Amino acid sequence: MSLINITLIIYIITSVAYIAREVWRSTAAKWISLGLFILAFCFNLTWLIVRSIKAGHPPFSNLYESLVFYACCTALVYIVFEFIYNFRIVGALASVLAMLILLYATLQDPSIRPIMPALKSNWMLAHVITYMLGYGAFGISFITSCIFLAVKPFAKNRKRNEGEKGNEILLINFDKLSYKLVAFGFPFLTLGMVTGAVWAKKAWGDYWSWDPKETWSLITWLAYLAYLHTPLILPKMNISKSKASVILAFWLLISFGIVNFTFVGLNYLPSAADSEHIYGSK
Amino acid sequence: MKNGKQNQSHTVTDLKDTAKQTIQTNRYERKNTNKVWDFFCSVKLAVVIILIMVVACILGTVILQEKTLDEYTAKYGYGLATFFRITQLSNVFHSYWFSFLLVLLCANLICCTIKRWKNTFLQTGFILTHLSLVLILIGGVIKFQLGVKGGVNVYEGKSVNYFLTQLINRQGKMDYIKKDLPFSIALDDFILEKNEPKFQLVSYVKSKDRQKVLDVKLGKKQRVTGSDYRVTIKDYIPDAELHQEPINTSDEPENPAIYVMLMGSDRVAAEGWLLAYDRNYYEDRKQNLRIEYIWLPSREELDKAIVSVGTAQAKLSAAISGQGSFQDYPLELNKVFKIQGTEYTIRMLQYVLNYGDRRPLSEQPPDNPAIQVEVNGPEGPETRWVFEKFPDWDKMHPSKYKNVKLTCNGIASTHMVKNTVRIFHSPDGKQIIAFIKDRRIVETIPWELGKNYTVGDINCQVAITNYFPSFDFKKEVIKKSDEIGIPAILVEVDGPRGKVEDWLFSNNRYATWYPDNNFALVYESTGESIKHFTSKLRIVEDGQTVLEKTIRVNDPLKYKGYVIYQSSYDPEAGSFSGLQIVKDPGIPVVYAGFGALCFGVIFIFYVKPFLRKKPKKETEE
Ligand code: HEM
Repeated sequence: MSLINITLIIYIITSVAYIAREVWRSTAAKWISLGLFILAFCFNLTWLIVRSIKAGHPPFSNLYESLVFYACCTALVYIVFEFIYNFRIVGALASVLAMLILLYATLQDPSIRPIMPALKSNWMLAHVITYMLGYGAFGISFITSCIFLAVKPFAKNRKRNEGEKGNEILLINFDKLSYKLVAFGFPFLTLGMVTGAVWAKKAWGDYWSWDPKETWSLITWLAYLAYLHTPLILPKMNISKSKASVILAFWLLISFGIVNFTFVGLNYLPSAADSEHIYGSK
Repeated sequence: MKNGKQNQSHTVTDLKDTAKQTIQTNRYERKNTNKVWDFFCSVKLAVVIILIMVVACILGTVILQEKTLDEYTAKYGYGLATFFRITQLSNVFHSYWFSFLLVLLCANLICCTIKRWKNTFLQTGFILTHLSLVLILIGGVIKFQLGVKGGVNVYEGKSVNYFLTQLINRQGKMDYIKKDLPFSIALDDFILEKNEPKFQLVSYVKSKDRQKVLDVKLGKKQRVTGSDYRVTIKDYIPDAELHQEPINTSDEPENPAIYVMLMGSDRVAAEGWLLAYDRNYYEDRKQNLRIEYIWLPSREELDKAIVSVGTAQAKLSAAISGQGSFQDYPLELNKVFKIQGTEYTIRMLQYVLNYGDRRPLSEQPPDNPAIQVEVNGPEGPETRWVFEKFPDWDKMHPSKYKNVKLTCNGIASTHMVKNTVRIFHSPDGKQIIAFIKDRRIVETIPWELGKNYTVGDINCQVAITNYFPSFDFKKEVIKKSDEIGIPAILVEVDGPRGKVEDWLFSNNRYATWYPDNNFALVYESTGESIKHFTSKLRIVEDGQTVLEKTIRVNDPLKYKGYVIYQSSYDPEAGSFSGLQIVKDPGIPVVYAGFGALCFGVIFIFYVKPFLRKKPKKETEE
C-alpha cells in the first residue's frame, strides 16, 4: 500500500478517535486521538520528504505535490492549536479536511516532471511554505466557523450558561477561536504574498502584473483583511453582537472558498490561458 | 450602540480591543472634527473600499483583460465589447475608477493613521502596516508613470539598442512602441540546456477508462490498482534496438507471407515480405506500380477474385455503441452524413495518407492513412482523427462522444496507381499472378516460386522467392550502448488470459495491448524539457564594453536602472534569446513597503499579543 493511502486511512481513524473522545472523555482518549493526528501528520510529511528526494526538488512543483503539502500544513496548524487551546470536536473535522485535500491530490497527475527554470528559487520556497501555512490556518478557521454556525441555534442564551462552565461556553467560543486562527494565518498569507511578489520580480521582471493568480491571491488577502477590520465597525452599526458573529462566521466560509478557488479553481477562468502561474491542467 | 459598546469587552481579539478605544476617542473628538475627516478616518470606509476592490478584482479576472477590440467583439459581441471599453472593464487595473479607489484607500490609510497616531510601542504594528501599504501604492504609481517594460529578441552574435513595449491604443488595437536604450546589448552566446529525457510506463484499463503511471522498477510485481492485471518489469535496456528475423513457425497457413523481389533493368529495385494479413502491398511511386498479395481461403473464392478488379473503396464506417451495426459512408469531403437512427451527424474534413507528414498528399507514402472527421451531436461539434490502421485510437484518447465509434478503410488504395500486380494465393496451392492496368485485368498467369515474371509493359520483373505459411518474427532486442538512447523494457503482464511478455520501446507511440484487448501499456518519454537557458550578454556604451554577464531565469543583469531578464528563447532553431527589459524606479519604495508590511503584521499578530498578555487577561475576567 502506498504511503499516501496509509496516510489517508490514518486521517480517517483519527477522525473516528476524535468523535469517540467526545463520548468517552478521558485523558487517555485525548492523547490517543492527538497522537493519531500527529502520526498522520508524520506520514504525510514523510511522503513529502521521500518525494523531494526522489524528484530532486522541493515537493510543490505541481498541483499534486502542492495539494499533499497543503494537507500536511492543515494538519500541522491543527496540531499546534490543539496544544494551545481546548479544541475537542474540531479535530474530527480537521482530519477529515486534511483527508479530503489528500484525496483530491490523488486524483491529480502524479508524475514527476522536471522543474521549470523559473521555479528554481529560494523565494519560491519561502513563498509556498508561508502560503500553505496560512491556508492551513484558514482551513481550520473554516471548520471552527462551521461548528460555530451549527451549534449557534442550540446555544442561544450564552449569558445564562456562562456561569455554569458547561459545554455551551466552550462551543460558543468557536467564533473567538476562528478569529485566533485567522490572526495566526494572516501574517503568513501576507508574507506569502510579499515573497511571491519578490520572486516574481526576480523571475519575470515585475513584482505585480495583475495576473489572475496574483489577482486572486489579492482577493483572498482582502477577504481576510475585511474580516479582521469588520469587528471594529460592527459594534458601531446597529447590529447585535450575536448577529455580528454569525455574519463574520459566514464571511469566513466564503473566504475559505476563495482560498480554494485561488488554489485549484483558476483553470476555470477565461483568462487562465494567459497566466504564467496557474498549474497547467495538462 | 450602547449595547455594542458594552459587548466589546467580551472580545479578546487584537483589533477588536482597539475598537473600544476607537469609540472612546471618537467621543472625545466628536465636537471639533468635521464630517469629511471622520469619513476618511472610518473603518467603515476601509471595509467598503476593500469589498469594492474584491468585486473589481473578480471582474478583472472574469472578463478578459487588455485584449484588442476585435478579440472582444469576437468573444462577447459588439454591444458588450463597447460597454467594456467605455466602462474600462477591459482594463480594470489601469482604469480611472480603479485608480480612484486606490487613491481613496491611500487617503483612508493616511487619515486613520494620523488620527490614531500615538507614540507608544504598541502602536508600531498598526502604523507600519498602514503606512507600508501607502508606500507600496506610491511605488506602484512611480512604476506606472516612470517605469517601462518590454522585450526584444537578440540573435547570437548580434546586438540591439532598443526594445519594444506593447500597448492597447484608443482604437482598441495592439500597438508596439520602440523604446531606445542608452546603451546596446550584445548577445555573445546563447545556451539551451535540456534535461535528461525521462520515461514513464503508463497503463490503461479500457473497461474502467483509467490511466495510471506505473513504477519502472526491475523485478517488482505491481498490481494495477482497480484491476486484476499485474505488471512485472523483467529487463531494461537504456539504448535498445529491435532486430527482427523472419521465421516460419508451422506448415499450416496461419499467417501466409511471400518474399517478393522487383527487378529493374540491371538491379533489384525493391524486395521484401508481403504479409497477407498485415502489410500486404508494396507501392512504387516512381514506377506507378503497386504489388498486392492476396490470400484467399479457398480455390472458389480465388477464381471469383481473379475476375473482379474491384479495388477497395475508401470509406468511413460509423456506429453508436449499443445501437446497431456499422454504417458505411464513401469518402466525400465536407458533406454532412447523418448516422441513421441517431441524432449524430458526421462530416469528413480532410484526409491524409501519412498522418503527421507535412508533404503534399501526392508525395505521402500510404503508411498511416487517416481522415479528420467532425462529429456533431447533442454537445456540439467535435473533430477527431480516425486512423485506418489504429481503429482503437479513440479508445486510448477519450473524446466527448465516446459512444461514437469510427473506423475507416481503403484510403490508401483510392490513391490507386496505374499498374497493379496482384498475387493471388489459396491454401490448396492455386497461385495466380494478375496484372491490372487502369482498372482492367490485362493478364493472368500461374506463378511458381523463384521464377521471374514480366508484367505488362513496365520494364521490370517480379519474382516470388519465398513463401512462409506461418510467418513470424524472431524478435531480438539488442543493446546499442549504455547511454540513454531509445530505452526499452521487457514487461510481463499477468491477467485473465495468463502471462504475456513483450518488449516496449519508448519510441513506439502506440499502445501494446494485452490479448483480452482491455489492457494496454505505453512506455513513453515524458517530453523533452528545458533545464536552463542562459545568455552571455555584454553591455556596450560608446563603443566600449562596460559590463558582461551570463543571465538566466532568476538571475538578471542590472545596468543604469534597467534590469534585463532572460524570458524566452527561439523554440525552433534556438538561435535567438528573448530578453525582457524592465525599468522601475519605484522598486526601492515598494520594497521598503514590503519590509514594513511584513514586520508590521508579525508585530501585530505575534508580538503585540504577548506584550499585552496581562491587561488582556483582566478584560477577559
Ligand atoms: C496588512 C494590512 C492591515 C493590517 C494588519 C491592519 C491592522 C489594523 C489594526 C491593528 C488596526 C487597529 C489600530 C488600533 O486602533 O490600534 C487597524 C485599524 C484600521 N485600519 Fe487597518 N490594517 C491593515 C490594512 C488596512 C487597510 C488596507 C485599510 C484601508 C484602507 C485599513 C484601514 C483601517 C482603519 C480605517 C482603521 C481604524 C483606525 C481607527 O481606529 O481610527 N487598514 N488596522
